[in-house]
Amino acid sequence: MSRKVRIAQLSCGPEYSGVQKEIYDAAEAVDAEVFFPDIALADVERAVDAFGLDVRSADLKLMIARGKALVDGKVDADGVFIGTCFRCAEAAIVRNELRRYIHEHSRLPVVSYSFTERTTAGTLLTRMEALTTIARRRALLAREEQTGITMGVDSGSSTTKAVVMKDNKIVGTGWLPTTEVIKSAEGTVAQALEMAGLTREDIQAVGTTGYGRFLIGKHLGADLIQEELTVNSKGAVYLAGHQRGASTVIDIGGMDNKAISVLDGIPGTFTMGGICAGASGRFLEMTAKRLGVDITELGPLAMKGMGKNVSMNSYCIVFGTQSLVNALAAGSSREDVAAAACHSVAEQVFEQQLQEIDIKEPVIMVGGTSLIEGLVYAMGQLLQTEILVPPYSQYIGAVGSALLASGFIQGE
Amino acid sequence: MMAEYSPEYVGTVTRYVFVESPSMTPGELALRAYEASEGVLIKETCFGLQVTGEPEAVDRLIEEIRAFDPNHIFVKDRGFPPGDPRRCRANLGGARPGYLGHEREFRILRYITHGLEELDRRGEEAEVPEAAPAHEKKPKLDIRRLQELIETEES
Amino acid sequence: MAKVFIYPATSLILSDLVARFGHKPLGAALGIRERIQTAGVDSPPLQITPEEPKRGLKYAAVEVPSGVRGRMAIYGPLIEEAEAAVIVTDADLAFGCMGCARTDELILFSLRQSGIPILELKYPTNEEEGVQFVAAIKKFLAGLPNGGEA
Repeated sequence: MSRKVRIAQLSCGPEYSGVQKEIYDAAEAVDAEVFFPDIALADVERAVDAFGLDVRSADLKLMIARGKALVDGKVDADGVFIGTCFRCAEAAIVRNELRRYIHEHSRLPVVSYSFTERTTAGTLLTRMEALTTIARRRALLAREEQTGITMGVDSGSSTTKAVVMKDNKIVGTGWLPTTEVIKSAEGTVAQALEMAGLTREDIQAVGTTGYGRFLIGKHLGADLIQEELTVNSKGAVYLAGHQRGASTVIDIGGMDNKAISVLDGIPGTFTMGGICAGASGRFLEMTAKRLGVDITELGPLAMKGMGKNVSMNSYCIVFGTQSLVNALAAGSSREDVAAAACHSVAEQVFEQQLQEIDIKEPVIMVGGTSLIEGLVYAMGQLLQTEILVPPYSQYIGAVGSALLASGFIQGE
Repeated sequence: MMAEYSPEYVGTVTRYVFVESPSMTPGELALRAYEASEGVLIKETCFGLQVTGEPEAVDRLIEEIRAFDPNHIFVKDRGFPPGDPRRCRANLGGARPGYLGHEREFRILRYITHGLEELDRRGEEAEVPEAAPAHEKKPKLDIRRLQELIETEES
Repeated sequence: MAKVFIYPATSLILSDLVARFGHKPLGAALGIRERIQTAGVDSPPLQITPEEPKRGLKYAAVEVPSGVRGRMAIYGPLIEEAEAAVIVTDADLAFGCMGCARTDELILFSLRQSGIPILELKYPTNEEEGVQFVAAIKKFLAGLPNGGEA
């Protein structure tokens, strides 16, 4: 077993919210240990002065000082977890500024999170896993080319995707809605193999990702079982042909959304969230159903409409659906409603998540929702930039897994 | 992962004893405290001691310890028993937040010591000026005075 | 002997002076000790479980952050129990149990609302202020209804 990954915790409130154990448990589950950078009182006073953010809460001052000790190299860590209470404005300012500061002044991967007393280790697990992967598998993540014959399977909350790659090319793909996790995975694997004209025996290494990664990973005897944050960033920059330098990856998924700030193919800071399904692909699926179109037709439909003509706020999926129904009843066109739905989802992601990372161009959108051009357009409008949607973007997790899995081929 | 918690040291109290004295080191304090301990658990630390035991026994011992050097020994309640892994610096990677709070107050202990000594010296009857109330607000500019100022400016 | 809430509740100096002058200091240690010595669900480091912020709803509404409500679950009962309070108003570097400014504001407000006798003062910054500080606390405590040295 390799040495434990050391994650520095900068936080205010988890012990008093009753969730410190959840943080410990999540770290332990990925063979990491959480620690609190050691500093003295004089360090706190100096650091707060130097940082220049005059907060009142002493524990936030402590966070700043600990963050500074990490950046100054006085304390060693492999990654940083920043956590503060949800709904605390003072803490949110510190959390954001500190995250940005550490990101800009060090190579430490950072994840930030705002918790409530309901936060569980399960919620934190993917984030911790990504943090430890970045720390532990830098060499693996540095891989820029796929070699041999490998397969990647992404068992997502809505759909399951599989990809077969050979000599740095995608030679087979499979796609099915996720019903029974293993059955859906087997179905997509069969599709991808058939398209590639290969058999299971030809595959030299397998990687899995997504919600069902552990289950299907075990079932398929995967060489790599990896959360979607690192896999998707890797897949995104690979497919976009932008493996070096900075970029931003946005993945609006069926259940939650990821926004990842990537440097040289390795995630630096990332957020994963979606308080409500209203800000996810699920809402667009509902919209399509209500408008009587296939999800693949929603994008083109939205491009013909004007989102501004319909007011829609999908902060909550129930309210979002309500405004959708109301707008149709009031005689709004289906095109306008489709555009408004796309705009609303983009806006939620923009407001809730993109504020937590630094947007660096190019912005790459991936995942099934990146095929909904109305959504990509709305996001581009909000970010005032042209968004890159690479080929095979809907297979992003599977491609990233197949790419990384080639590091496990015997003799490699 | 819900796990059961079974507490240790139930029914005990723990107190920190800090010594900030030119004539007594934490080591000497510990030595003298051991002699008087009578079954109370004593743990030596860099700043003094931690004592743990039945509340009455701890109270008695604390009274004796205080008497060693009343104006240089300070005592505080502690929620955790001594050496608890949840608060241990080695396990946390750094000092628990409470330690930094102590550091803040160590800086002014000498003023408290001086205050205690002066009160002893001046005796019960002596008039001691009280601390200015913290709530004293700066007087706002009187409205009539403002009027005067405006009028002088205008004339 | 009176029960005297100390603020900061983690203060060594206040805990010492209140006890030294014959009273019972009510501070963070009491609330933490109670939790550390009670069997239940494991929730390190302080044995404050996710249930505590819910109990804290008695003192702060649901839109108040969980860390404030969890802390208030410790301090609320102590404030209710208190017969007097000594408050240091410039305790800006008290961490952990006192590390949240919003909680601290709510504690001070609750104390002032409760109608108990309160002494508010600042940390001494020199020897003479040290004398005043100790004298003020001694006099305040002696003047409490069930005051006097034990």
